[in-house]
Amino acid sequence: MNQFFTLLVNGLSLGCIDALIALGFVIVFKATRVVNFAYGSLLLLGAYVVGSTHESLGFAGAALLGVAVTAVLAVLLGVVLLRRARLADPGTLAILTLGIDILLATELTRRIGTDLLTTGDPWGADVVSLAGIQVPQTRVAAAVVAVVLVTGFLAVVKFTDWGIALRASAEKPATAALMGIRLSRVAASAWALAGALAATAALFFTAFPSPGISGTVGQAALAAAVPAAVLGGLDSTTGALVGGLAVGVTATFAAGYQDQLAFLGRGFGTVAPYVVMLLVLLARPSGLFGSKEIARV
Amino acid sequence: MPPASARSVPLTSDGHAPLLQVRDVDVRYAGAVRALHGVSLAVPDGAVVAVLGSNGAGKSTLLRAISGTLPFVGGSITSGSVELDGRRLDRLDPATIARAGVVQVPEGRQVFDELTVEENLRAGALATPRRSRGRARDRVYDLFPVLRERSGQRAGLMSGGEQQMLAMGRALMAEPRVLLLDEPSLGLAPHMVARIGEVIAEIHRQGTAVVLVEQNAAMALELADLAYVLEVGQVTLHGPAAKLAATDDVRDRYLGISAAPAGPPPTGPPPTRTGPSLAVDGVSVRFGGVTALSEVSFTVEPGEVHALIGPNGAGKSTSLNVLTGVYRVASGSVRYGDTELTKLRPHRIARLGVGRTFQNLALSPSATVADNLLLGRHRLTRAGFVTAGLRTPGARREQAEQRRRVREIAELLELDGALDRPVAALSYGDRKRVELARALCAEPTLLLLDEPVAGMNAEESARLAAVVARVRSELDISILLVEHDMTFVMGLADRVTVLDFGRRIATGTPAEVQRDPEVIRAYLGTPAQEAAR
Repeated sequence: MNQFFTLLVNGLSLGCIDALIALGFVIVFKATRVVNFAYGSLLLLGAYVVGSTHESLGFAGAALLGVAVTAVLAVLLGVVLLRRARLADPGTLAILTLGIDILLATELTRRIGTDLLTTGDPWGADVVSLAGIQVPQTRVAAAVVAVVLVTGFLAVVKFTDWGIALRASAEKPATAALMGIRLSRVAASAWALAGALAATAALFFTAFPSPGISGTVGQAALAAAVPAAVLGGLDSTTGALVGGLAVGVTATFAAGYQDQLAFLGRGFGTVAPYVVMLLVLLARPSGLFGSKEIARV
Repeated sequence: MPPASARSVPLTSDGHAPLLQVRDVDVRYAGAVRALHGVSLAVPDGAVVAVLGSNGAGKSTLLRAISGTLPFVGGSITSGSVELDGRRLDRLDPATIARAGVVQVPEGRQVFDELTVEENLRAGALATPRRSRGRARDRVYDLFPVLRERSGQRAGLMSGGEQQMLAMGRALMAEPRVLLLDEPSLGLAPHMVARIGEVIAEIHRQGTAVVLVEQNAAMALELADLAYVLEVGQVTLHGPAAKLAATDDVRDRYLGISAAPAGPPPTGPPPTRTGPSLAVDGVSVRFGGVTALSEVSFTVEPGEVHALIGPNGAGKSTSLNVLTGVYRVASGSVRYGDTELTKLRPHRIARLGVGRTFQNLALSPSATVADNLLLGRHRLTRAGFVTAGLRTPGARREQAEQRRRVREIAELLELDGALDRPVAALSYGDRKRVELARALCAEPTLLLLDEPVAGMNAEESARLAAVVARVRSELDISILLVEHDMTFVMGLADRVTVLDFGRRIATGTPAEVQRDPEVIRAYLGTPAQEAAR
């Protein structure tokens, strides 16, 4: 039983990180209808910037720099892509992001080489023990940061002009433009936010108990973001949160009960979120919170 | 006085330059299809200008040209200009045009379903300074008290009429200098149309210029100071609204009242036939809380050409969608011969011999005409992909037979010269005939035509009328026709059923229906004795 609760708490804290990652993925899709496969590399970029500067700038300075650099690059990416985004086929744009992902990931992997960078975070490998449940300190920090960021984000979306512009242009872009909402600015701000979220998530995604920053971090992050975003509904921020938590919990349980699940083969924890995603899509083809596509006769 | 010539560049009556000026605008879609041709339009400050015309005439395209939304649908202005107070708008993006003071209420309302009423209104005011928003909101709430009552409700849950009010209120939040309205009365009940009309009059009184695109000519001409009539992408008439409303041309175009039928002479009594008849009995259709059809009944006799007419939103397309099994009825029955259609899936109904054409062409543009037509014969083709792939003698014989029949039908529709050309290379009128041929290739016994002449010019439409008359007599089928073009309908139909707001208001021969005071009211809104003179 204790193992169950330990896994649950650890799963939820991992889910918080996954939710941050998925949120950035979903914001871009919501604002621009672009499935952003370069998102994993953006996260890797954030991690790389932090990993290579924390010795001179300190953790906080490096983290801020990482967030800023990633946000700027995300905006450049979005603006370059978006120059044609409203007219181009979303499928083409998705493939374009795949290409960017490969370029960026290759270059970053080359720079990282065989080193194993760390973020230099202050929590290290310390573990908190609460009523017999053991959680790494990084995960506690991740959960706190995620809750603060997500609550803040949802409040901004709900109450501010920017939030209304985002929701309006997500639902009916042509009509939003007719109301004087500048779609390109909404899109650029969504990309910036996505970049910042990716870099923030990278801080925790690469911290203990993960081994550190290597070239595969981007793929691993994307592998968590895609099922989380898709099972949540791809264009729903609430969906990204629920999806992220579901993916984190599923992966942690599948890994924790590995011995009992041995008949499914090793490494089932990586696949389990996708199984959950498929089951959800079978029951609800638009995801848990996604808006339904309606075809007109 | 006859309306002014369509060629002169319009000025306001006192000779001042108008607030909004559209000058000689050409619009093309996908670089090829020309949707507007040298259209000029002038909107004096504070005036209501109506733009009339049938489906496909280019009304919405004109509004898109003004509001800068053509790129969203693959169109562009290829020559001419749009100016607001001397400032060129035609190279600007929609958001900048809206910020300049030209705000459009799009067709179909397009409220933000997921946002509350209040958030929708805020979305309309994002481009304006914060301090003026409170005033704008008060003004909108005064115009539409219902929006104040429902301010916290999600817009997607409101009725069509309330959504139309919200869409207008949202646009007014930006305090526009020119308000563009695209079919605001579409699909609304009469009292709601009247209410929307009052609000437009009030907006006008408060000094905002309005461009009103409407198929409801009665409403538009009553509200407008000036009116323009568009036909196949060109302005064919314009002038003061009151004068246009009194001209025979406008009466003719919207009701086919004044002129003799310009289509082919009636083809005489329908051939006597013993095929099945289509009986629609007491059919009602509801979408959510909205009643789209209410207790509608009519019968299409074997061999008859029966027309279903009515203003936009009357329920014509809904009726077709019921007949083809796309929509479910709330009550009532549809029988074709001995078969009840309301419970059947669309492909089962097609197999009973009920064919249809689509208003928006459902053809494969890169395939040749012949291949499109062969696809129409799919239901009658037995060879599977294995036998066809192996080219067995049976499959080859069948293939040859199918091609022979396709050629016959193409000849009947005067398309035999175009069989090997891709559909995309044909003119719009020709493509409409290919659509008809595709439906005929399934060998229907009852053919449903959904606005076959929409977007055609007078010549093309007369040619299609001749073709349909020939199809009916040679192929011996019944035809149910949904159409706006009164000249086409009156020249072709044996009987006409008129719908208005989901109810049947008349059935009879074309001559009877044209004299029916209810019908005249529904179309032109003029008192019966005046219109029927």
